[in-house]
Amino acid sequence: MLYLLRRVVVLLTTLLLVSFLVFMLPYLTPGDPARKILRARTGDLDLDPETVERLRIEYGLDLPIMQQYWNWLKDALGGDIGISYTSGRPVAGMLGSALANTATLAISALLFALVVALILGTIAAVKRGKPADSVITTITQGFVAIPEYWMGPLLVLVFALNMGVLPSAGWKGPLWMILPCLTLALRPMSYFTQVTRASMVDVLESPHITAARSRGLSFGETMLKHGVRNALLPVVTLFSVWLAGLLGGSVVVEVIFAIPGMGRMLYQAITNGDVPIIQASVVCVVGLTVIITTATDALYRLINPTVRTSHGTR
Amino acid sequence: MPDQLEIDNLTVSFGAEGAPPVLDGVSLGVAKGEVLAIVGESGSGKSMTAMSVMKLLPRGARMKAGGIRFDGVDILGADERTMNRIRGDRVSMLFQQPKRMLDPTATVGRQVAEPLRRYAGLSRHKAADRVIELLSDVGIAEPERRAKAYAHQLSGGIAQRVMIAMALAGEPELLIADEPTTALDVTVEVQVLRLIATKRAELGMSVLFISHDLGVVSSLADRIAVMYAGRIVEVGTTDQILRQPQHPYTRSLIKCATLARELDGSLFVIPGDVSSARSITKGCRFMPRCPVVEEAHLHDSCDAEEPPLSGCANGQVSRCWATIETRRSA
Ligand SMILES: Nc1ncnc2c1ncn2[C@@H]1O[C@H](COP(=O)(O)OP(=O)(O)O)[C@@H](O)[C@H]1O
Ligand SMILES: [Mg+2]
Repeated sequence: MLYLLRRVVVLLTTLLLVSFLVFMLPYLTPGDPARKILRARTGDLDLDPETVERLRIEYGLDLPIMQQYWNWLKDALGGDIGISYTSGRPVAGMLGSALANTATLAISALLFALVVALILGTIAAVKRGKPADSVITTITQGFVAIPEYWMGPLLVLVFALNMGVLPSAGWKGPLWMILPCLTLALRPMSYFTQVTRASMVDVLESPHITAARSRGLSFGETMLKHGVRNALLPVVTLFSVWLAGLLGGSVVVEVIFAIPGMGRMLYQAITNGDVPIIQASVVCVVGLTVIITTATDALYRLINPTVRTSHGTR
Repeated sequence: MPDQLEIDNLTVSFGAEGAPPVLDGVSLGVAKGEVLAIVGESGSGKSMTAMSVMKLLPRGARMKAGGIRFDGVDILGADERTMNRIRGDRVSMLFQQPKRMLDPTATVGRQVAEPLRRYAGLSRHKAADRVIELLSDVGIAEPERRAKAYAHQLSGGIAQRVMIAMALAGEPELLIADEPTTALDVTVEVQVLRLIATKRAELGMSVLFISHDLGVVSSLADRIAVMYAGRIVEVGTTDQILRQPQHPYTRSLIKCATLARELDGSLFVIPGDVSSARSITKGCRFMPRCPVVEEAHLHDSCDAEEPPLSGCANGQVSRCWATIETRRSA
């Protein structure tokens, strides 16, 4: 309980700090914020001073900074995180749909990666030193080195252009998810496989496995009951690091496959100087990261009782 | 009547073909209800002998033997399914580091219940009750609380009692105990040894008890086999081994055991170590460390050929040229 409370306090403090830093963003870069907003909206370089002044008052940009931050925070807590400078639409709606798309893509890709990695990693560990292990290790090491901007077009070339079995770009349904998912999954899959293999080897050679076998459990039963759980620990941690990373959106994959997700939205917002979107996205991504880290930590404690008691929260 | 466990000419090796084996032609028998101890320094091949019987040798081990039979069952040729039915049910095992032998992520109760639910087919509820019975039966206080604990929350002594409870749950006919008290404090060691002795008498099982310390096995064993560098160097009844040891290595072990107990602090250590035997291909493997080779003027025969395991009328056998010489001239 105490542990949970502590984590919530950490979460809130982090969010508050990040929100302040993010709020200060437009003030840290040189130039007048009011002019920047107008420029973002109209693309016009020659601004009418009167219009600038009107906007300054409308947006409260003439108030002291802390006052502005307070107003912004109040609005944000009330669910109003601003209006996009460029599109004029509420940021909340844009952020919501972008995040949903990115999360769908990231979670499907990582779950796929995880399942494949657990199978491949276990095979490699059980057959360590044998041909199956070498093949798996070589292939995964290769995948790690292939960047997405290379793998994406390659997959499109093969499956969309040559074989014509899958759509090359767009975001209209499950069929459209396959190629971006694959592109995104291959690198984490390779890392997950390598980590699974290493931790499986550790587990296979740990004394308690031999002891369980000496009690008449078959190899398979022993692994299921006393191996997998132990071997899963490092993989869980790595999974959450990747999940947190991918929820910010993968610019490369979202641009290649024309997916309206976080990465593309943030990328466009930055090029257009669309500050409200940048602010909301960054706070959202940081918040999610902290939440995921906390959830992983809790899960880790659930799987590994050694951590649970050594921190004195039995 | 044949022995309950028979090991015939067992050889185990690792690594390249032709590398010196870690077990070399080991033959042993354990009669029904008997306690046979295997004694020898660390690295002499005791654990490999035990793991050969369980057929749980580490990866890369190659096993060759004339035969290993348990109660008429051919262990050497048995497949995994047959072994899974023997392990834990008819032959159980205890290990040196009990805390590391428990799954760190599962409670004691879950692990003890596992074979109960599998073999005896008990319901979850019945198994939980039986776990408490088994734990209190091996002298664990507050068994309900211990059943909920994880390995890292237990002392070594309690963990070994848990291992004993698990090993004996299926009332095995043979218990293989590989240095079960080596990692424990002396007072706890005595308690655990007593527990094993009590259980042996209760269940009438045979025991293959492994230790590096002759002192530990002397009260428990009916017979003792002394092992050195992968070879059996002497076998006899406990009385014979302790009162009239034939092999100089056995005499050194006795010195280690008794002196370590009597003069606390100034341990007797056999000079040199087991690794000196590795380079020896034809002579006696103990020669580099042997205290009698000089005075017996046997340097030539000890160097030229490994002595055979040879015995006198009372059944005691040993592997030493000096002993053979004495016996011949007597
Ligand atoms: N996995 C292994 N690979 C190679 N050699 C091993 C392995 N395990 C044990 N050995 C060797 O086998 C010999 C006997 O070991 P062991 O039976 O464990 O000795 P003991 O139990 O008497 O201390 C040792 O010299 C050890 O180095
Ligand atoms: Mg050993």
